[in-house]
Amino acid sequence: MVLQLIKLELLKSMRSTSFAKSALVAIFLAFMAVVLLAYVLLLGIVLKDVLEKVVENADAYTTLSSGLIYFFLFEFMYRYFTQQLPVMELERFLHLPIKKSKIIHFLLGRSFISPLTLIAPLLFGPFAYREILPRFGDTAAISWIAAVVLTSWSLHWLMLWFKQKFEDSLTGIGIVFLVLLLGAGSNYFGWYNLGEIIKPLFDWCLTSPIPVLVLLGVFGGLYQLAFIYYSNNAYLEDLSQEENIRFANQDLGFLSRFGLAGEFANLEWKLIIRHKKSRTYLMLAGFFLLYGLIFYNNPQYKADEGFSHLFVFVGSFITGIFMLQYGQLFLSWNSANFDFFLQKREGVEALIKGKYLLFIVVSILCLLASIPYVYFGWDILLIHLATFLFNMGLVIHLVIYLSLWKPKPMDLNKGAMFNYEGVGIAQFLMIIPMLVAPYVVYLPFALIFNQYIGLAALAIVGMAGIIAFKPLSKISVQRVLDNRYEISSSFRQEI
Amino acid sequence: MITIEGLKKQYKDVVVLDVPNLFIPKAECFGLVGNNGAGKTTLFRIILDLVRATSGKVTIDEEDVSQSEDWKWKVGAYLDEHMLLSYLTPDEYFEALRKMYRMSDADLSLHLERFHELFNDEILGKKKYIRDLSKGNLKKVGIAAALMGNPEVVLLDEPFENLDPSSQNRLKKLILNEIEKSQITFLISSHDLNHVTEICERIVLLEKGVVIKDIKEKELMVNELNEYFGT
Repeated sequence: MVLQLIKLELLKSMRSTSFAKSALVAIFLAFMAVVLLAYVLLLGIVLKDVLEKVVENADAYTTLSSGLIYFFLFEFMYRYFTQQLPVMELERFLHLPIKKSKIIHFLLGRSFISPLTLIAPLLFGPFAYREILPRFGDTAAISWIAAVVLTSWSLHWLMLWFKQKFEDSLTGIGIVFLVLLLGAGSNYFGWYNLGEIIKPLFDWCLTSPIPVLVLLGVFGGLYQLAFIYYSNNAYLEDLSQEENIRFANQDLGFLSRFGLAGEFANLEWKLIIRHKKSRTYLMLAGFFLLYGLIFYNNPQYKADEGFSHLFVFVGSFITGIFMLQYGQLFLSWNSANFDFFLQKREGVEALIKGKYLLFIVVSILCLLASIPYVYFGWDILLIHLATFLFNMGLVIHLVIYLSLWKPKPMDLNKGAMFNYEGVGIAQFLMIIPMLVAPYVVYLPFALIFNQYIGLAALAIVGMAGIIAFKPLSKISVQRVLDNRYEISSSFRQEI
Repeated sequence: MITIEGLKKQYKDVVVLDVPNLFIPKAECFGLVGNNGAGKTTLFRIILDLVRATSGKVTIDEEDVSQSEDWKWKVGAYLDEHMLLSYLTPDEYFEALRKMYRMSDADLSLHLERFHELFNDEILGKKKYIRDLSKGNLKKVGIAAALMGNPEVVLLDEPFENLDPSSQNRLKKLILNEIEKSQITFLISSHDLNHVTEICERIVLLEKGVVIKDIKEKELMVNELNEYFGT
């Protein structure tokens, strides 16, 4: 049965109209995963030496054990942003004589096969072998690594439950924020030392099997939690929850001034706030406004003169994250009603212009909201302004142009459960062109002259792009118009 | 066969279905009619445990559908295209179901043979995914799938909708044939009063989630229904 399910899943992705795109994304992600895991393994092998170098007075084991909790807090964060939830078109199987529990075990099991699962063993395995084994003996080493790996894997199940339950709510963001604060509270502000509080637990592993057994229980318990939550929600009404019209009449009135494009931008805005997936993106944009806090006051990035080159990336990220992520699925958002736009006079053109308009509006809002970063220096404001202009002038076209390659149909009306439409690692892929583009312009000028000239170059290129908005946007519009039959039929195909 | 007790479905304050008592005996052909939004599909979905009941329960042969899953072996259903695997060809879909129902190849071809006329050479052996089929052909695939694995109960939601007139007739013949030959309990919802009154020996009329008529006499059916629907 499980084999049958795997086969069906495979067929599904191979026959999808956007197979080429998904396959390329998958290959790229797999490649990245291998590279990153290799780095992790390498770091694991030299971890002992690194720790001994960095903290000279203490032995590597003490340093690591008191730092482990930060690793797990960090793991919680990266899992929250990158871990994919198991997805399946459950409604096609619910009425068949296959046990629900079997399907859900299959889904959960499949989600476990992921590079994230390997990080903890690869990072701490070699350390256990090189440091703990010689000092404390083999039972201690096994029991220690088991405790560490089980904790990491327990987080996997916890996250399956947590993301599914809280993703579309402020509670979720609140808890993630709390976790951040928990780490920062002890780290930056020195209220308490979290590492010291947790350390005895891992020390205990060296002498007793009890913690491992307890963690095994936790691991099983959290799996059970995820399992029960998923099976209790395996109903059609959870699949397609009727949203109560929470957001009645909320036009962005000023958009109407822009004619048909403005009307479509208004429609798009409604689409965004009325669907979970798009709403999550919007919330994420809000969350990433805080991204600067990690960098701007970090002593590591303090430059003697000017600012760190990295800040250009942070700036373009903060002012453009929504455009990037939402724009990545440019036409897919409208896949259910693309024919509606085709059938209107100049509908496609207005649709795309409307999207441009919306990206610009949201980016302006992000720019305004990021003004308080001035607190960390006027440079930051300059950076934000320059990257904002660059985003609006150039990156916006880049994102849209790239996203028009084989757009994938997306059913927004399927609800949350088992049709995970939230944020995963694939949604961050667009960052790569975004990462490269500003530096292509900025770096040469910054290195030859100085950083401010580099920023000026960004701003000038951006403004030139804004002036050339009409011809540039024409390229994307034309591309959609040229491919409209293919796009429309691929959108219609997947029911 | 199927017993419904104190069944209620509520979304917030709105009661969409309220069936205190309903019994469908074995081998009955049970027709469900009502205007749009009367709760026909919701009732079917609750029977299939696709939607939770707010209160009350449905039992099939003493088995509470929300508590166990063994009944799924004897129930076949086709409500809408979401029940199909649209990325397969019809042949592959039947093949996948064959494995799930643990049927032999011969069983499957025997089964599909029954649909030969209904399929009209448009379904099998074609290199076409289900997602590319017309609405009528989707329905035919779904109905043939619902009847797989010798079910004792078959639920069909609007089976005649989207079918051309000759297919409608063929389907009607097919269902009548099944009723005569086997002991299948059919639950059929339909707007098409002509077909449903012809096939079913009992018709239940739903209005706003409430059973307002339960007609068992064939002679009265047509008149009563025509009176209600104003046709």
